[in-house]
Amino acid sequence: MKLKSQSSRQYRGERLQALTVRQARFIDAIAGRILPVTDTPGAVEAGVVFYIDRALAGPYPHLLSRYTRGLRALDKHAKRQFGASFEKLGDEQQDSALGDLESGKIAELPNGEAFFELLRTHVLEGVFGEPSYGGNKDMIGWKLVGFPGQQWGYPETYINKAVDLPPITWEGLPKKPGQS
Amino acid sequence: MNGSIADVCIVGVGAVGGILAKQLTSAGLKVVAFERGPALKTAEYAQRDSISYIARPDQLEGVRHEPRIFRTSATQPGNLRYGTSPFNVLGGSMLLWTGQASRFMPGDFKVYSNEVASGLADRAGVDLRGYDVVDWPIGYDDLEPYYERFEWEFGVAGVAGMNPFAGPRRKPYPLPPLKMTARMQLFGEAAKRLGYHPFIGPAAVTSEPYRPPAPYDTRIPERPACVYCGHCNHYGCHVNAKASTLHTAIPVALQTGNLELRTNCKVANITTDDKGMATGVKYFDPNGVLQEQRARVVILSAFVFEHVRLLLLSKGNGKRFKKGLANSSGLVGKCFFGHGDMRVYGLFDNFIINGFIGSGAAAMRIDDFNGNNFDHTGLGFIRGGTVGCSGDGAPVSRMDIVPPDVRSWGKEYKEYFMRYYTRTFDIHMAPETLPRRDNCVDLDPRRRDRWGLPLPRVTFAFHANEKRMHLFLADIGERIFREAGASKVWTELPRPSPTRQCGGTRMGTDPNHSVVNGYCQSHDVPNLFIVGSSVFPTMSGYPATATISALAYRTAEYIERQRDWFH
Repeated sequence: MKLKSQSSRQYRGERLQALTVRQARFIDAIAGRILPVTDTPGAVEAGVVFYIDRALAGPYPHLLSRYTRGLRALDKHAKRQFGASFEKLGDEQQDSALGDLESGKIAELPNGEAFFELLRTHVLEGVFGEPSYGGNKDMIGWKLVGFPGQQWGYPETYINKAVDLPPITWEGLPKKPGQS
Repeated sequence: MNGSIADVCIVGVGAVGGILAKQLTSAGLKVVAFERGPALKTAEYAQRDSISYIARPDQLEGVRHEPRIFRTSATQPGNLRYGTSPFNVLGGSMLLWTGQASRFMPGDFKVYSNEVASGLADRAGVDLRGYDVVDWPIGYDDLEPYYERFEWEFGVAGVAGMNPFAGPRRKPYPLPPLKMTARMQLFGEAAKRLGYHPFIGPAAVTSEPYRPPAPYDTRIPERPACVYCGHCNHYGCHVNAKASTLHTAIPVALQTGNLELRTNCKVANITTDDKGMATGVKYFDPNGVLQEQRARVVILSAFVFEHVRLLLLSKGNGKRFKKGLANSSGLVGKCFFGHGDMRVYGLFDNFIINGFIGSGAAAMRIDDFNGNNFDHTGLGFIRGGTVGCSGDGAPVSRMDIVPPDVRSWGKEYKEYFMRYYTRTFDIHMAPETLPRRDNCVDLDPRRRDRWGLPLPRVTFAFHANEKRMHLFLADIGERIFREAGASKVWTELPRPSPTRQCGGTRMGTDPNHSVVNGYCQSHDVPNLFIVGSSVFPTMSGYPATATISALAYRTAEYIERQRDWFH
């Protein structure tokens, strides 16, 4: 039994620690609208779902029930409004359903605005946070906005000048002598 | 020192506690210092990691055990809040501060005389009912030598004489200013064109490698120069360029052999005798076992919330302290205040700012609208705030800053953030809040911390004087941004919770209307001292660190002189 449940938690080549595969797919659908793919990658490509999964498995286990409840209500709302599961809707309908969540218009979910804010915050943290927390794969988020990451320092202050340094993480920094 | 009597017990070892420990142990006194949190190594607090320090401060070891309750009126139950002020580890919030090291202005100590008694408030057209404005019992001149010692021991970079509103000083800053950044350049040039008086804000961040020269404390180890990594505010400094007692005062205090440091120890109350003198503290050791340490002098240096909580919890046995220790005035916890946390944002189409580079405290500022530096006639408020450029931050710090006409998610948001992350900065205001008794800290009746002690509960709201000031300052910030060439400008007014919290054990000359005297000494309990921003009777448009450090040096000198207390 244990083996089965573990293998059923495989998602996009990684093992989920808190979310079910179905929830992960749902979150990816939402993430793809919060920071969509354009001519550049978006939240799905940044691996936001793994950031959220690690957050719920680690420091924020109490938020898992909010996710479960919130996603269920959003899906119900999608079915009622558009006759299909959220994941199956087109971009515009998904945006419309998310807009209803954002403005607290989903009847089954009191305080839906707060759940939307949680989703948005988690998705963006997953895009722009340090990759060691599960998201920001290949520093996609940092490359999008032009943040060179956790550089040791800068030789100059780049006044009105683009910074052309490739982004780097704390773990990727060369060790300096004398640091404890 | 277990079982024996220490000369001095210090509760909380951050900016203030670190300075007190250095000064008192250097004078030969035996000190036992308690710190709630651990002693962290640089690599443990200076990962410069935006998820831990910006997105999840509630998970930090120095924060997670010490929430407080916050509410905006006495009729609400209030919500749990976590904040990095204080950051409960050895060295305290000074590990995560920005490094802004301004002295208060001379007028900041005399608000009652200069602005209320003088009739200025009447001319401004402000109704001060409900406020409790008083003068400090000490003035700028009393603190000037101690400000100087702070600047030279902690290495403050700045340009003396550049700010025409600053008080007089005997010595220049020990270090030249930090490098100019784009936001400093744009802000400074625009402010100057508008006729204001921009100056480089003093920063306790080393612009060059620094070690204090004689006659200051030459035992303090050298610190290397800032590398402009841009992770100052809310982050630990990985090169120790940003000043903290952890790398200056505390190692010197330990070297004296007179300091016993007890980390991961939580002081639960202050013990007293029949005569009403403090006899020491009871504390939970790292295993959660209640222990006692006796001392001839007890000093609280653990920030506003903990000062109020400890005093209210220390009722002793008899009737004398039934309202709490040092509280015959009934003012413990009252007149709590801070700065409104407000910003004006600007976007630039014609200039690359790269706000993620620089040093958090390296800022251009103006004091033209701070304190009593401008004509308040008809404005409907008194006082003001310093106005300066800021806006450092990794994308996680900036991702929620969205203009009102842009949707905060979706394609539109993505395009906005991709274009402007490198093309924006903030104008940050530090609007002063006037003291009121209904803005206060007390004990939550129900909720308790991991040691079983009641959580501190804050009741706070901005009132008419602050609200008018916020709008006035927002207009100044917007004007500077437009002059600087910003293509879009908008304001975020303060949320109803103050930053840089102060008050709760205010100082004064009259024991009926204050908790401590000008030496931070309790009126009621002469061997109890309370040092930190909790003693401020009124605020300033500046952050507190330089001033609480100056108070720490001055209080230490006063205690050292009481030789008969220690035999």
